[in-house]
Amino acid sequence: MLFNSLTFIVFFAVVVTAYWSIHSWTARKNLLVTASYIFYGAWNPPFAALLFSTTAMDFWLGRRIAKAKDQPSRRAWLVGSVCMNLSMLGFFKYGNFLLENFQWLLARIGIVYHPPHLDILLPVGISFYTFHSLSYTLDIYRGVLQPTRSLRDFVLAVSFFPQLVAGPIVRAGDFLPQLVRPPRLRIGQFMWGLLLMTLGLFEKIVLADTMLAGSADRIFGYAGPLVALDSWLGVIAFAGQIFFDFAGYSTCAIGAALCLGFHLKDNFRFPYAAIGFSDFWRRWHISLSTFLRDYLYIPLGGNRVAWTRAAINLVIVMFLGGLWHGAAWTFVVWGLLHGFYLVIEHASRALIGERAWTANFAVKLLLGLITYGAVCLAWVFFRASDFTIATRMLRGMFGGYPHGDAILATREILQIGIVTFFMMLAHWSLRDINVETAVTRLPRWVVTSAWALMACAIILTQGTSNAFIYFQF
Amino acid sequence: MPSSTSNFKRILRLPRLFFRPPTEAESVHGGPPLEFERPIPQIPWRGMTVVVVVIVIAAACAWEFYCRSIGYGPTLNDNEDLWTLTRQRVKPESIVIIGDSRGWFDLDLDELQKGLGKRPVQLAMGGGCGYPVLADLAADKTFHGTIICSFVPWLFFAPPGTPPMERGEKAVRRSHTQTPAQRASQYLAMPLEEHVAFLKQEELTLDDLLKRLPIPNRSDARVPPRLPPYFGTLDRERRARMTEECARPGSELQKRIQQIWLPLFTPHPPPSYIPTDVFMAKMKDAIEKRARDTIAAVEKLRARGGKVVFIRLPVTSGLKALEDKTTPRNQTWDPLLQGTGAPGIYFEDFRELASFNCPEWSHLSAGDSVEFSKRLVPHLRAALGM
Repeated sequence: MLFNSLTFIVFFAVVVTAYWSIHSWTARKNLLVTASYIFYGAWNPPFAALLFSTTAMDFWLGRRIAKAKDQPSRRAWLVGSVCMNLSMLGFFKYGNFLLENFQWLLARIGIVYHPPHLDILLPVGISFYTFHSLSYTLDIYRGVLQPTRSLRDFVLAVSFFPQLVAGPIVRAGDFLPQLVRPPRLRIGQFMWGLLLMTLGLFEKIVLADTMLAGSADRIFGYAGPLVALDSWLGVIAFAGQIFFDFAGYSTCAIGAALCLGFHLKDNFRFPYAAIGFSDFWRRWHISLSTFLRDYLYIPLGGNRVAWTRAAINLVIVMFLGGLWHGAAWTFVVWGLLHGFYLVIEHASRALIGERAWTANFAVKLLLGLITYGAVCLAWVFFRASDFTIATRMLRGMFGGYPHGDAILATREILQIGIVTFFMMLAHWSLRDINVETAVTRLPRWVVTSAWALMACAIILTQGTSNAFIYFQF
Repeated sequence: MPSSTSNFKRILRLPRLFFRPPTEAESVHGGPPLEFERPIPQIPWRGMTVVVVVIVIAAACAWEFYCRSIGYGPTLNDNEDLWTLTRQRVKPESIVIIGDSRGWFDLDLDELQKGLGKRPVQLAMGGGCGYPVLADLAADKTFHGTIICSFVPWLFFAPPGTPPMERGEKAVRRSHTQTPAQRASQYLAMPLEEHVAFLKQEELTLDDLLKRLPIPNRSDARVPPRLPPYFGTLDRERRARMTEECARPGSELQKRIQQIWLPLFTPHPPPSYIPTDVFMAKMKDAIEKRARDTIAAVEKLRARGGKVVFIRLPVTSGLKALEDKTTPRNQTWDPLLQGTGAPGIYFEDFRELASFNCPEWSHLSAGDSVEFSKRLVPHLRAALGM
């Protein structure tokens, strides 16, 4: 079920009404579990069984880890959990990719092997709920969480429908404590949730799908060479599209959770105003970057090891982060590019240190624009379906086709320019505060008008129920 | 983030606090009670919400009145989900109409039901290529009914990757992969679309309104031609009917659409990045492959007892001249019938079918489509050996 669909509007209205009408906290939680499984099963009912089985396994393994008497046993149970989760992810998401690469490797040594193409349907959101579930056993192993005694609570923590299929990646340790006491219905919190849902849908339906997606799709789908202007505009359009698409989903998820009395943490903090790549990853898909930091980068040694080892750790983490996004080498290159950016940044910081002139706004702005440009370059590999397209795009961007085609209408150019300008303006204006502070500071009439305008634009756009980009991951 | 977040983190990271025996309040999972809370802006929410709701309702009503005042009426949107619901009505012995918008507008289901004894299922689609649907029905082993395939050469032979082909493929794909949520959304959308005029995808959305802005393009920009505006209504059986405004002789809408058909039906220049001779050879290969695939699909259906009849529906004036020039009958229609061995009805071959006028050159008016279908029935019966 998509947030931007009529089914979800009806589903959400029914769930919220029933939820706040029921007095018993246990019954409310049962309602949320049922609703979450209906939400997920509305895509493909059999996959709900898969979701439950991995959740139940992690619930059981979490208890085994906590009960284990010695460290080797704890580790063995954790390895069991990690293997179970990653093999599930590996089979559904990377099965064909691994087979294809295995075939390629064999071909390099002269062995001709034709593996069967596995007709595997990717369960929607598997990368997200695997991480929701995995965080539970990992935190129990790390000693920062005790296992819950309630399977129903854990099932709800993993499958809570606002964040189930496209994040944010909510750790069990962040969600389970919220299931202790029933939340109270607070009008301000509920309305703020609705406003966030309006904002999220506006970002997705109006800004991502209507203003930017068409141009990005045409540019990346064009089979011929393009002039530099169109190539750059295609990449800039995609940079905006993926932000509004994914941040829009996260904002909707946070808003929907608030309407039900739950608090999810921010997943985006105005990332295109980042100054440097470390800053970017503190602002972009925060739930994934902190997950990778806490469960991969720090266990690898983090930055407490020698500089070269820390650099290698960074590249490993970003390599896996890239692979998490999709079973293709283009995603790996995207991840590696970010790893490379981070290494360069760390090296530059070590060389330059904290100088006074780096605090100058003009320098910050320049560094921010360089960061944005480098991030856009990396998006080429993220969006291109293969390296031929990526190479052609990059060549076009750097003037490799002065006589290439121009395919964007002036209207599309204006749309990309205006949306990107205002997006950057908003990111730079709000980079040091959050939306809540901004809304509190703004005059009431501005907030009211903006809310009404967004709602009207959503109705006018009507939506075509395009899936969110991150569903495929 | 507020300071409460860091408190929460600190508590989580202090095993000494966390591993104490759970209190009664914490007995469900043993964790501490919630400390992380999102900040909520302290503003007068009730008043603001009322104002927003009033503005949105007023704006929606105003937009609805405006749309109706300029000639729009409520009608269903033709999308993959509506097509899928219709596809699911196909029974093993059904009569199915496939192809392009002429099959959609020109064939009246009531008249065909009267004449053929069964109510046809309407699977033709605007701007769509009929081949993906033909192939899908041929691959459906339970189907051994009758297919009436509207044939517009430019659309039927559209190569893979072009909009007409993609439209057909998308609809077929959705019919195989439709999720319960998509199905439910379609059921919820239909009553709304039947009563609200501005719910018109590909016409009154923000995207379409922006496309209408008179902004000149770069002289060398290869921008796709515009599609015609709204000129028909659609019911739950996917029966399309031309609006009265479009059918009214000499109407502005009619003239606008006529001028849009010409660039749409004019062969596009080859892409700049492929030499013309290579492109033409590729196109020729694609057309020959489509012909071979069509023959195979028809044979497959025929082997199961199914029947296929191709029909060439009326087209008039400037558009007819353009189609005759760019896709002449002896290079498209004749080889298709010869190759497939299927019967065909070409409107020009019969005086009673050739005498209709298409108001916007490509489709019959709602009234004419009834009379045309009545006159078509004997020819269909003869072609199908009924």
